Amino acid sequence: CDTNQLDPIPETSFSDQVVFDTPARIALQVNNLYAYVKSGSFLGGRYQVYGDVRADDFINRTSNAVTALQVWNHTLTETSTNDVINTWGAAYSAINQANVFLAGLEANSAKYVVPAFAADFATVTVPRYQAEARFLRALSYYSLLQLYARPYIDGNGSKPGLPLRLQAETGAGGNDLARSTVAEVYAQILEDLNFAEQNLPTAYANATLNTTRAHRNTAIALKTRVYLTMGQYANVVTEANKLVPTSAPYTAARGVANGLNSSIVNVFASPQETTESILSFPFTAQNTPGTQNQLGFYYLPTRNDSVPEATGGGEYYLNAAGIIANRTALSITDSTADVRYAKFVVISGGNSYLAKYPGGTPYIDKAPVIRYAEVMLSLSEALFRTNGAADTRALALLNAVRTRSKGTAYASFASTDAAVNAVLLERRIEFLGEGIRNIDIMRLNAPIPGKGSVSAVPPSSDNYVWPIPATELQTNSLITRN
Amino acid sequence: QVRTITGKVVGSDGSALPGVTVVVKGGGQGTSTDAEGSYSLSIPANANTLVYSFIGYDSKEVVIGSQSAINVSLATNTTGLDEVVVVGYGTQLRRELTGSVATISGADVAQRPVQSFEQAMQGKAPGVNITTPNGVLNNPPVVRIRGVNSISLSSAPLYVIDGIPTYSGDNSATNAPNNPLSSINPNDIESIEVLKDAAAAAIYGSRAAGGVILVTTKRGKKGQSKVSVDSWAGLTKAFRLYDVLGAEDYMMIKNEAVRNLNANRVLVGATGNNVEGFRPTLDANGNMVDTKWYDYIYRTGFSTSNSVNFSGGTDKTSFYASVGYTNQKGMLENNEFKRTSARVNVDHKVYKTFSVGARINYANSYNAAPSTGSLNGSAFGTAGLGRLPLVLPPNIPAYNPDGSPATNGAGVGAGANVNPAAPTSALAPGYYNPVVDLAYNYFNSESNQIQGNVYANWEVLKGLNVRTTYGIDNVGYEDKSFQTALAGDGFSTGGSASNFYRTNKRWVWQNTAQYDRTFGDHNFSLLLGGEQQKTDQQRWGANRTQVADDFFDTFQGNFTNIAASGNFQGENYLVSYFGRFSYDFAKKYLFSFNARRDGYSAWGNDKWGNFYGGGLGYIISEENFWKNSSLANSLSFLKFTGSYGEVGNSQGVGDFTTLSLYGSGLYGTNATIGYNNAGNRNLTWETSKKTDVGFSFGLLQDKIQGDFSYYRNTVDGLILAVPLSPSKGVPNNSIDANIGSMRNQGVELNLKANIFQKQDFSWVVSGNVTTQRNEVLGLVTEGQRIGTATSGLETVNYTRVGGSVGEILAVPSLGVNPENGRRMLSIVNADGTGRTTVQYNHLGGGWTTLDGQPARTPNQLTDGEYYGPVLPKWYGGIDNSFRFKEFDLNFFIQYSGGNYIYNGTKAGLHDQRFWNNNVDILDRWTPENTNAQWPRVVYGDNVSNGSALVMSSNVEKGDFARLRNVTLGYSLKPTLASRVGIANARLYVQVQNAALITKYSGIDPEISSNGGSNTGAGVDRNSVGQARTYTVGFNIGF
Repeated sequence: CDTNQLDPIPETSFSDQVVFDTPARIALQVNNLYAYVKSGSFLGGRYQVYGDVRADDFINRTSNAVTALQVWNHTLTETSTNDVINTWGAAYSAINQANVFLAGLEANSAKYVVPAFAADFATVTVPRYQAEARFLRALSYYSLLQLYARPYIDGNGSKPGLPLRLQAETGAGGNDLARSTVAEVYAQILEDLNFAEQNLPTAYANATLNTTRAHRNTAIALKTRVYLTMGQYANVVTEANKLVPTSAPYTAARGVANGLNSSIVNVFASPQETTESILSFPFTAQNTPGTQNQLGFYYLPTRNDSVPEATGGGEYYLNAAGIIANRTALSITDSTADVRYAKFVVISGGNSYLAKYPGGTPYIDKAPVIRYAEVMLSLSEALFRTNGAADTRALALLNAVRTRSKGTAYASFASTDAAVNAVLLERRIEFLGEGIRNIDIMRLNAPIPGKGSVSAVPPSSDNYVWPIPATELQTNSLITRN
Repeated sequence: QVRTITGKVVGSDGSALPGVTVVVKGGGQGTSTDAEGSYSLSIPANANTLVYSFIGYDSKEVVIGSQSAINVSLATNTTGLDEVVVVGYGTQLRRELTGSVATISGADVAQRPVQSFEQAMQGKAPGVNITTPNGVLNNPPVVRIRGVNSISLSSAPLYVIDGIPTYSGDNSATNAPNNPLSSINPNDIESIEVLKDAAAAAIYGSRAAGGVILVTTKRGKKGQSKVSVDSWAGLTKAFRLYDVLGAEDYMMIKNEAVRNLNANRVLVGATGNNVEGFRPTLDANGNMVDTKWYDYIYRTGFSTSNSVNFSGGTDKTSFYASVGYTNQKGMLENNEFKRTSARVNVDHKVYKTFSVGARINYANSYNAAPSTGSLNGSAFGTAGLGRLPLVLPPNIPAYNPDGSPATNGAGVGAGANVNPAAPTSALAPGYYNPVVDLAYNYFNSESNQIQGNVYANWEVLKGLNVRTTYGIDNVGYEDKSFQTALAGDGFSTGGSASNFYRTNKRWVWQNTAQYDRTFGDHNFSLLLGGEQQKTDQQRWGANRTQVADDFFDTFQGNFTNIAASGNFQGENYLVSYFGRFSYDFAKKYLFSFNARRDGYSAWGNDKWGNFYGGGLGYIISEENFWKNSSLANSLSFLKFTGSYGEVGNSQGVGDFTTLSLYGSGLYGTNATIGYNNAGNRNLTWETSKKTDVGFSFGLLQDKIQGDFSYYRNTVDGLILAVPLSPSKGVPNNSIDANIGSMRNQGVELNLKANIFQKQDFSWVVSGNVTTQRNEVLGLVTEGQRIGTATSGLETVNYTRVGGSVGEILAVPSLGVNPENGRRMLSIVNADGTGRTTVQYNHLGGGWTTLDGQPARTPNQLTDGEYYGPVLPKWYGGIDNSFRFKEFDLNFFIQYSGGNYIYNGTKAGLHDQRFWNNNVDILDRWTPENTNAQWPRVVYGDNVSNGSALVMSSNVEKGDFARLRNVTLGYSLKPTLASRVGIANARLYVQVQNAALITKYSGIDPEISSNGGSNTGAGVDRNSVGQARTYTVGFNIGF
């Protein structure tokens, strides 16, 4: 017999022994880290959907449990598969991909020598890759915290957070790991982001990479969101100042020239690669978001006689009593309306739908993660909160975002509360359908508003945060329920 | 005085039987029949009875009287003690077996309206439990020999066709299942042997843990030239469908539910402003639409099957050749199975001591099915035809007045219903209109399989045979699907077409030497052999989306996008050495020992494993003291056997699962490489320790025969996909390891009685019963429970130590509270002691205790109780055959029970979203009907009746008895037949699946929505049940 045949080598997969052998393979592994965070169950679509439909701007149309009905309905249980179990699983898969990569990068360092590798590979390229991995790990932990843990301000981070997995996991042991506190998880997120800021490249070769790979500004932008979520407004100001000049034009001075585009319609027009998009996840016809993950499928109306070109699933339409009812905020008059209403809201079958992701099948509009406008509004809010309603820079930032979409500028605010509420309202309009709403509710420990027949959820309620999934409870004896 | 008797002996099919022994009862005179079945025998005057006997046939005694010519017809005896039984790499006499081997004759599986032979084996053999998980044509049945013998690997038996292992399971990439075993025309099968214990199966070593099924196809017989034509035609229909609400009742119930919802809302201080949105839709003539969705989905299917075979043989050559064509249309629209097959079996003696032969089968099989939602993993599909007629509102139409299908986006049109919560918008169900799928979409799988072997055998010296066999088994599958852009699953992709091409290629080379020798009363037989098997499996395919124009409905048409789909590539190699030693003394004391050493490429560091099985037998009835005692008259045969051995399991392990691997994918336009398989290089065989003790007996000159055995399989080193904390993020959240153990035990009893045997009338009853008890002995950690999800959504089955595999974990339901109509469940108290009853009021306060205090939400893991087993505790079959003159009547009953079923379909049928309900919902709680079966209906309530929570009210017992087959036949008298120039002719009518007796409230207690999952049995979720088939047929022999 031919004993070699007993050791066949797979032709479509690599052995773990060879994946650090060439710079090209290592580069492809970095792409893979993004692909995992971009999973349809995570930031490739569903996470953004969950962030919006938990609140009150959308109405579920299809009663389909697979398309976030229970998220919308606040009837999740620890066995809810599509949302509670899959989001957790997808995020931690992404985290472990980063951890495995980081460990492999270090373990294989002896290979990084000429001629196979560039002479500066170990000193320049490796830290860049580490920075990308740690950025994505931070983004994943941050995103998980917003669903599965109490807000930071509820107990100043003392509440149970997440199991903090930082080791490469490839084997059987180590199932049991207790939850770190919310503050501990945030500390790790910030440590990763600080490392990323220092080691990420300042820019890539083209607009596609600048929107779909993390660069230095991306890390800074995410830090503004993290600090805002933690209620550390002074830090928001510090970080945002690295990206936002003191006055218009609002364009980052360093690195990629991220800035406020003159038209939000441009920002969401294919291929969604303006400098306003600091990080978005890309799709192609070969690399689609996957069934029932596509943002466009959730929000676009289905094709019918009144909207023959629409190819959505019409899973959710805009709540007539939600943000679109606020004609003042949307500056709706007989002759004009905010661009974000005029261009992104379509009527079909008597209901309003969000058309921010107009591409239709195969749904390759990029999934947004963070935009320059968010950094500006975060900065505006932080400035108002630290300096009071009279802060002119904060007002200018708010109006800059608002007026580029033909919104009526605010003249002034009577109180800090009024100013902050205006910013929050603006965020609700600006980021409708981008998954930011849940962050803005939870970080303030505010009630989740009710809609239709669904009641509001007060912060004291059990279902204010998601349950820890049953799959984790079964295997990790140190985990605790929410 | 001596006289001569002449005559001819024929089989029950009318063919001449050469070699039949004819002896005078009580005297020494005897002869045997010649090639034409004729004999001539001189007998003494005092002789009064002749005995005709032949291996494989029932012996017959005929009183001579004054006759001088006696023609005899012998009936085949499928469980005869002297039949030849096919075992691994050889044959043995049943009498001499020490292992447990069940035999099913080819006649038992021929002419049944099934697609593959193993479907017709249901209930036929003890220890072999076969269930039909759904009614989709050519879906593989679930075959379990002596219980579930694995958790993560396959528990299916190894199928060996004429010595060459073949493929089993669904090989299709589309909704049309394709079971490769359907490539064999059941009419070509001579016999099927099931090897159950270690003494019988250990010769198959590492693949024997789930038992082995050996299929032997027909061969020509010397001196016979036969042409046989077999045809049948039949009608297939659904039965036991659910009785769902008509339009009027539907609207009444749902609007009542809306009123109750408003009342609940007001109760909690909210506004009760939902509108009663369930309104009659009127058709073009102004009549109220009352759609019977079942009518669009089910049909009466017409099926036919035709086979012609011819066979014959000379001293040197024998041959069997056949062609077959069957076209079966199922009860579901668009469900079709077609097979065209051809077989040639040849054996030729080149020299006196050297022979060669071949077995070659070619089959083309075409499978088409709609989206049934019944295959493993598809239970919750919104396109499933099992589910749609249960959920779709009856008050909306299937078609618009202009004749086009009523659609709204991907889903069915809303009709006049409006959303109670948002009355400005229509209530558009997210479910699909089935007429779209049936009219525009298709899913099919067509395979071409060539399967066969050639051999050469040289008898080196008397009793020593060396043999080499080379076999191939190559299948090509072309799988195609199309989904229209109009609506349904193809809607969001703008129309979608997929094509896949799969090849399974295998070659097998076996070399054996067998030496049989007798010294006095000592009989020896030794077999030694080696075998190599190489298997390559590949599939490639693509999915095209966004059709350029509705005109296109094939992959080759124009679409704007294309993406690779369904690709895989694998290979494995098995190299083995094996042997068998058998010894008996005077056919009384029997001993056998099998061993096999296997090396398999899929394992990690340790590729080799050694397996063995040994058996002892004692035929006490061969002892002189027995023969001379009066006992021998009644108990004519008695044999005790016992066996033990260790066999392995590698069936179902991935080709590269032990390797830590990185796969390649895409991030936008860029390629990726990422960690995607956590390998365990220590992974190796599962070991199944099989013990078998039993006895077989013949009573009253073997008029009653039977066997009894006790079996126990202890499986060690069970491979478990050890669940890892999802927070570890390891690919698939699991790693395979040889951890865990499990035991199956039970008894088998098999009986056959010739109750009445006369010229004009005979009655034969046979039956079998098997018990099985499965117990999981060890898992990864103490207290671990492994959940098995149904289609990735609902987890019903949990496997834990001390229980049997996949028991149902359900929260105990205490029925409906007569006070207020709320569902009552029992939850565990916070301190862990005792239980409290809680009740549910949808959107009206949720869960409360009976005295109205807020209570926590019940959950399955904390509050659930186990209901098990999900596998039958007992099962079997009873076969009755009557013959009266030229008529024969057979009815076969299959039975099974002791198991629990989770009737998830029932949960859906009482869901209070817009879903339609079973008519029994009319017995819901109202203030006037407080002693109701179902809770007060509240619109949107998916909790009270089990959609959102597995509860015991949906757990039912699964006992059933099924009249699996009834056949009435009429055979032409041989004399009449020969006058019209044919050897034999039989006409018959049969009903397959004629009746079902069960208390189970679902469609079919055999349904398994998780298909052949080891740990996910006993779940009924939206699957279609089995059909009933009426056929008429004939066979004619020339």
